Amino acid sequence: MTSPIVDVADLSHVYMQGTPLAHRALDRVSIQVERGECIAIIGHTGSGKSTLIQHLNGLMRPQSGKVVVNGLDVSDPKVDIRLLRRQVGLVFQNPEDQLFEKLVGDDIAYGPFKMGLPIAEVKERVEWAMELVGLSFDEMKDRPTFALSGGQKRKVALAGVLALRPHVLVLDEPTAGLDPRSRNELLQRILRLNQEEGLTVIFVSHNMEEVARLAQRVYVMANGQIACEGTPRRIFGNSSLLQEHHIGTPEAVDILYQLREQGYAVDTGSFLPEEAAAEILNLIKR
Amino acid sequence: MEKGLTVRRIVIAGVLGAIAILLGVTRLGYIPVPTAAGNATIMHIPAVIGGIMEGWGVGMIIGLIFGVSSFLNATVPLFKDPLVAILPRLFIGVTAYFTYVGLKNINEYFAIGAAGFIGAMTNTILVLGMAVIRGYMTFGVAATVALTSGLPEAIVSVIVTLAVVASWKNLVKAGKQKSKISG
Amino acid sequence: MSTEFELSRNITIGQYLPTNSVVHRLDPRFKLAAFVIMILAIAICSTYVGNLFALAVCIGMFWVSKIPLHYGLSGVKPAIPFIIILATLQLLFYGEIARGGTIYFQYGFITISSESVRLVLVSAMRFVEVIFLSSVLTLSTSTTELTHGMERLLGPLQKVKFPVHAFALIITIAIRFVPTFAMEMEKMMKAQASRGADFGTGEWWRIIRRTKDMLPIIIPLFNVALARAEDLILAMEARCYMPGASRTQYTHYKATGKDYSALIISIMISVIMLYIPW
Repeated sequence: MTSPIVDVADLSHVYMQGTPLAHRALDRVSIQVERGECIAIIGHTGSGKSTLIQHLNGLMRPQSGKVVVNGLDVSDPKVDIRLLRRQVGLVFQNPEDQLFEKLVGDDIAYGPFKMGLPIAEVKERVEWAMELVGLSFDEMKDRPTFALSGGQKRKVALAGVLALRPHVLVLDEPTAGLDPRSRNELLQRILRLNQEEGLTVIFVSHNMEEVARLAQRVYVMANGQIACEGTPRRIFGNSSLLQEHHIGTPEAVDILYQLREQGYAVDTGSFLPEEAAAEILNLIKR
Repeated sequence: MEKGLTVRRIVIAGVLGAIAILLGVTRLGYIPVPTAAGNATIMHIPAVIGGIMEGWGVGMIIGLIFGVSSFLNATVPLFKDPLVAILPRLFIGVTAYFTYVGLKNINEYFAIGAAGFIGAMTNTILVLGMAVIRGYMTFGVAATVALTSGLPEAIVSVIVTLAVVASWKNLVKAGKQKSKISG
Repeated sequence: MSTEFELSRNITIGQYLPTNSVVHRLDPRFKLAAFVIMILAIAICSTYVGNLFALAVCIGMFWVSKIPLHYGLSGVKPAIPFIIILATLQLLFYGEIARGGTIYFQYGFITISSESVRLVLVSAMRFVEVIFLSSVLTLSTSTTELTHGMERLLGPLQKVKFPVHAFALIITIAIRFVPTFAMEMEKMMKAQASRGADFGTGEWWRIIRRTKDMLPIIIPLFNVALARAEDLILAMEARCYMPGASRTQYTHYKATGKDYSALIISIMISVIMLYIPW
């Protein structure tokens, strides 16, 4: 049996500890992610999602509890933090804000250059990362960053993190603010990274369609704790749980719930549009 | 240029003023360099950039905000004196603006860099000059500080001003530059 | 260690300490005016007794505003080595310039006279006085009050076409955006650190290298701020904000007897300081 690539055990975090403004952001959180999995973390704003993912690459150190990523113990003060940050690629919300180089190629190459890699390897990595996110290396590398569209900028930012060749990719609301077309394309890319490149993916999202399409397992967070964990089928099939934590459902599931209220026998765990369509077709045929 | 305080100038001055305050209260405002002070401040740079972008009036107001904030947060006694902390800062954006306007017909990049340099030097020379006038320092000490700390600060200022203004004004011509990983 | 990037939660502008004393409750317009008058008096006064008197007044101010004196002293403490070095330098080199009075000591270019001693002692005292006075002002007045006070004090300048309202709006915008940009900056630092950036680990003598290390934060910070500015400009113009149009005030200050007495007292103190002949 292999150990999980991400192992968080009893992690707690209190902001501004020891002041009247102290706020418990994480309360004994435990999650385990296996190599190659695609995990969604959902929950209300302020439920502790961002605090949790910042522990995964050592931007925050555990106050109590343990975080072990690919064998590296984040709570160990002697851990090689730069090595850790290369293992876990963290993509923040609106990552296009962080672009600072004038040219696309230079911005993506920033991380690999910082690692001190020789130029040939930097070039190879940049090319690899750009192709993965769907930017043509030859066409795009000398383009000025400001001339790109929002969706393209986000791809550049994603490529900048991928160029570090992380084992785990952590994304905070990867598609927020994108138009539907760019959103779909980005989701496709993330899915392929997970399935074809074998990258372990952990993402935070408020968009339940996205969660339904990508995630193999879902963690639901509320008030700094893990409220529940399970497959999308299990989570979306449990309406009382979703309501309790103010979590929306994918539209497909909404329709199925409404049908069930009308007295039709449907499986509300069919969360993908195709599955829901099949359920409805079944009803019609009967 | 349009005269007086337009909505644009009010907002740009406010926003860059916010950055000036922010740089003052966090360690980001200081870049460690080999000087007696141990670091070069970049807190004057919002005033320089305001001057370049929106004229000397905006530059002066941002300088004032920078001055007042450095006065309010002062730990060094020198800057607990408003005549040293505030007054000299008014002129940073003004000299930067006139440098930029005077040189921009020669070359835009050169003008921006020169404005960064002159803005930083204005800060150094006027603050130290005021410190001498107010009797906090002798002329010799001030001149030494100006050389050892003012020059590195001016270099830092040139780099940062150029980078920020070029990035915001999108001063890159498509196809003219090659990325480091090209060729 | 986990606080490495926690900027936005630790930012305070100014050092307001609410003790609700008489000084705290003064009308900020009057408080500022009194402060300016006293600073000017301190700048001019160069006598021993005048400065001792000013020092006593400053210490008394702490007592009146119910602020522990150590707040003021903590401002002075880091300055002590600085004051000593400065005093030594002045003592050694100012003798040439301030030749008046009795000469106590002369060797080569070093001259120590009663005049240069007075200069050294007086400037050391001024130092402490200015620190104390500024501390009392900033500890007893919130940033908002200071802004309002400044706006009203500058009010008469409107007559000479100085844009007082626009000015106050600029300061309000600046203060409003500091926490926002602090959060942006924190995010930027974290994002770049995630890409392998390190801040301030390059060799200390390489100025250009160290400056360039900061650019991944500074450039995006300015870009995000200026983009916010563009949004705000659009929003204000869409609502027809007119710079310079006359508008009403949300807060009103009404001067009371206390405020007038504070101003009169500060003038009296200044006059005493300047008229003491020793």
